[in-house]
Amino acid sequence: MDTASQTAQVCVEGVWKVFGRKAREARAMANDGASREQIQTATGSVVAVRDITFEVAPGETFVVMGLSGSGKSTLIRCVSHLVEPTEGRVEVCGTELTQADGATLRDLRRQKMAMVFQHFGLFPHRKVVDNVAYGLEVQGVERQQRHERARELLDTVGLEGWGDHYPQQLSGGMQQRVGLARALAVDPEVLFFDEPFSALDPLIRRDMQDELIDLQLKLQRTLVFITHDFAEALKLADRIAIMNDGTFVQVGTPVEILTNPADDYVRAFTQDAPVAKVLQACTLMRPLDGAAIDPGWPLVSMTTPLEAVLPHLLGSTSPVVVCDEQQAPVGVLRGEDVAGVLVENRG
Amino acid sequence: MTAVDEVRTRAAGLRTAPEHRLARFILAVGTIVVLVLVFRLFTNFGIFPVSWDIELADPIDRARRWLINNQTSHWLYTVFLNPITDAIDWGIRRLESILKWFPWFSYPLFTGLGLWWTRGRIAGALGLASVALIGVVDLWAESFATLALMSVSVLISVIIGIPLGIAAWRNESVARVVRPTLDAMQTMPGFVYLIPFVLLFGFGRVPALISTVIFALAPVVRLTEVGLRTVPQVTVEASEMFGATERQTLRLVRLPQARPAIFAGMNQTTMLAMSMVVIAAFIGAGGLGQVVLRSMQNIDVGRASEAGIAIVIMAIVLDRFSTGIVTADPGRDARAMRWLAAAVSVVAVIGGILGQNEFPESLNWQFAPYVNDATDWARDNLYDIANSGIGTGPFSDFVTLEFVTPLRELLSSDIPWPAMIGIGMALGLWARGIRLAIGIGAALFAIGFLGMWALSMDTLAQTLVGVVITLALGVPVGIMTSHNDLLRAALKPVLDFFQTIPSFVLLVPVITLFHVGRIPGIIASVIYAFPAAVHYTDLGLRRVPAEIHEAAESFGATRSQRLRRVEMPLAAPELMVAVNQVIMLILAMVVIAGLVGGGGLGLEAVRGLRRSDAVGRGFEAGIAIVLLASILDRLTRAIADRLRPPAAV
Repeated sequence: MDTASQTAQVCVEGVWKVFGRKAREARAMANDGASREQIQTATGSVVAVRDITFEVAPGETFVVMGLSGSGKSTLIRCVSHLVEPTEGRVEVCGTELTQADGATLRDLRRQKMAMVFQHFGLFPHRKVVDNVAYGLEVQGVERQQRHERARELLDTVGLEGWGDHYPQQLSGGMQQRVGLARALAVDPEVLFFDEPFSALDPLIRRDMQDELIDLQLKLQRTLVFITHDFAEALKLADRIAIMNDGTFVQVGTPVEILTNPADDYVRAFTQDAPVAKVLQACTLMRPLDGAAIDPGWPLVSMTTPLEAVLPHLLGSTSPVVVCDEQQAPVGVLRGEDVAGVLVENRG
Repeated sequence: MTAVDEVRTRAAGLRTAPEHRLARFILAVGTIVVLVLVFRLFTNFGIFPVSWDIELADPIDRARRWLINNQTSHWLYTVFLNPITDAIDWGIRRLESILKWFPWFSYPLFTGLGLWWTRGRIAGALGLASVALIGVVDLWAESFATLALMSVSVLISVIIGIPLGIAAWRNESVARVVRPTLDAMQTMPGFVYLIPFVLLFGFGRVPALISTVIFALAPVVRLTEVGLRTVPQVTVEASEMFGATERQTLRLVRLPQARPAIFAGMNQTTMLAMSMVVIAAFIGAGGLGQVVLRSMQNIDVGRASEAGIAIVIMAIVLDRFSTGIVTADPGRDARAMRWLAAAVSVVAVIGGILGQNEFPESLNWQFAPYVNDATDWARDNLYDIANSGIGTGPFSDFVTLEFVTPLRELLSSDIPWPAMIGIGMALGLWARGIRLAIGIGAALFAIGFLGMWALSMDTLAQTLVGVVITLALGVPVGIMTSHNDLLRAALKPVLDFFQTIPSFVLLVPVITLFHVGRIPGIIASVIYAFPAAVHYTDLGLRRVPAEIHEAAESFGATRSQRLRRVEMPLAAPELMVAVNQVIMLILAMVVIAGLVGGGGLGLEAVRGLRRSDAVGRGFEAGIAIVLLASILDRLTRAIADRLRPPAAV
């Protein structure tokens, strides 16, 4: 086992997925730098995922953001091994899925991983409680025990008392809560989310995002999250991968992507992004380096978002002082620096 | 794509091909005319030459005699067939005695309770009364014989059918064998299945059961496969992600979600089995069918009506119960089932103590005499009203003399047989291609070699007359219901009712009015196929998207323009499916009508089942029916496919 897989909980190396009969030819064309369209017209095969490599550390939230057809859904299915990758290596919790036999894969899925689906994937013929208990049932857990656990999780996601309903009697948001509870019931180390909130209304989507953030603060699991919503990616991610045409265009923290987009494709997303909400005082401040500060300058903490700093800067020409947790000044933030970033992002 | 675009593209799709289509059509018609003229002018071909008969009947009759003589001695029987026969027979008898062990009043009671619970008070009362009526007219024992035979058939069909459906779903190569076999099995009139099994097993309940199982198997297999195929992929992925084994996913996720489809298949299987068990009276299946058959032979229309009504009651009750299971609401109905089960056991115990398992004779009352009086009255008064030449009799004569007989003459001898084969092949060529043409040609030659040419043309003529009448009545009604929801809702129960009645029973009311001959068969077949004509026309027209209606309307099309220019062309493939269904139903009925003097292949087959020296001819007629059915089925389906607009890319 190499060092990478000891620290990373999900480790993906050079994964390809080609759909169609002429996978080998398509692969060869791709090696020569042919585009997706060229390959499709020539071979009839679709290169959905193209040489993807990444790692996710324990407790990290890794978000893959891409538009429809970018291959993100296929990628998460390769990682969770619902789809066999054409080529490459996938390791989850130290087990190499691409080498694993059926039993090993099953055990790993029972013990270590779980997935939440775009259209919920709830079982319409089972009550909510039996949906949540499904993973445990498959493992052979006794009925009473698994129901106890399922009801516990329904409480966690705010669905107390809904256990005896059928999924289709619940609203979309409630159904996805069931999906989430079902995934959490098996106490997985790694959770895969395949556009879980994209079928929901905007307001409900926001609530679900907030709840996921709260849950993640408590549970500290490893999350791989797929979305087509850039704002959602910025909100949830520790790191974001922007995906286009089967490959990652850029991988980085939200701040890195906002402040330093790799190309025009990424920049197009950042233009409409809520920059002032995402960027924090510490990202743009200039280090103090012993320079003098005026005691009249306003103080903000390092994690204050730009939108909360702006009122201080707009009122006067003086900069604000950024302090660390001990209230010690560490840097200054000037109006022109902030304005520069905001203007740059507007293109 | 907007609706307007869609109209344009579809219109374009219908317009691009026409030069080709017209050319091919003219070519086909030209070929037919030339063929007919050439053969008529220069040759003396007429009916298929009798000397070419391969006389398949002889070896079959010999085989039959050998089988009869060796039934008690040969290893084929002692080791193989007789044990099967005995086991099945034992099973049926056993079930019959279990059914009879329950006190008589439990049946009307539970039917009433069950229907009350699922369908309301009125249905419950009707259910109770109608089940009791079966006992009142003294058909209790016969009903149990039918019910037992049918239940065992359905049980075996399900035991074979569900695993077969799963296998076909799981394995594409199994599906490639199973699907066309089922298609072929459903094409054949049920009646035909009886012949080979009678040959092998003789008369009795076992050949009846085997042919019923084969006849009724298709829906449960097909719908199990369809049900499994349509389980949403995401639920399967969810199950896999929890580390479920394939078996667990099948048991916990796929099968439960396929359950409504499987139950729908079981419902259809039950209805097919019911209709087949009745027809199987021809080979000694006993039960209610036997009563109908015997009464019809004795022209005791009254008794035949009683048995017919008992069959209809049984079919409808079974249908309502089995559709009730499909649409069951899991929470409420599980509770109901528990109550019902509890009630069953209580009543059974009480009945057991009281020994009340025979239907009390004191309650007997028969309405057969009244029906017979009515039939006599109808014969005296409606057959030829006041000797005026108006009535059912002259009507029959008119249709026979003006349509059926000339058409039969035209098909069997006026058009020389090589031209007939040529026409069939040309139609096949036009509709699909050379392979269908060759298939049709081969099938027609085979009919000739079997010595069944004239009889087949007779049956074809009856079928065509029936089809024309049915479509002339059914398509307009379908057009009306597609535009009028109220009318559709009003007609639905009537049509459902006629579709639930086993085909054979429909002959009973028809012969009261039209006596025997070809016409009652044709009329019964029209009644039998009419619901299908209405249903598929309605369905086809309703499938035309609302957007297209609106688009057509926005161009200022009148209602009749819309119907002719937009709706009918778009619904054309469905309408052709209607034609296909109607043809198959009518053929099946016309064949059964051999029993009431329908003539043609049906009569030959009936005779083969009745008299042991005619089994060979009956077998030949059976093969000819199968060939005729296949030709008509393939041809109409190919035409339906042709009419379908090119699929989107």
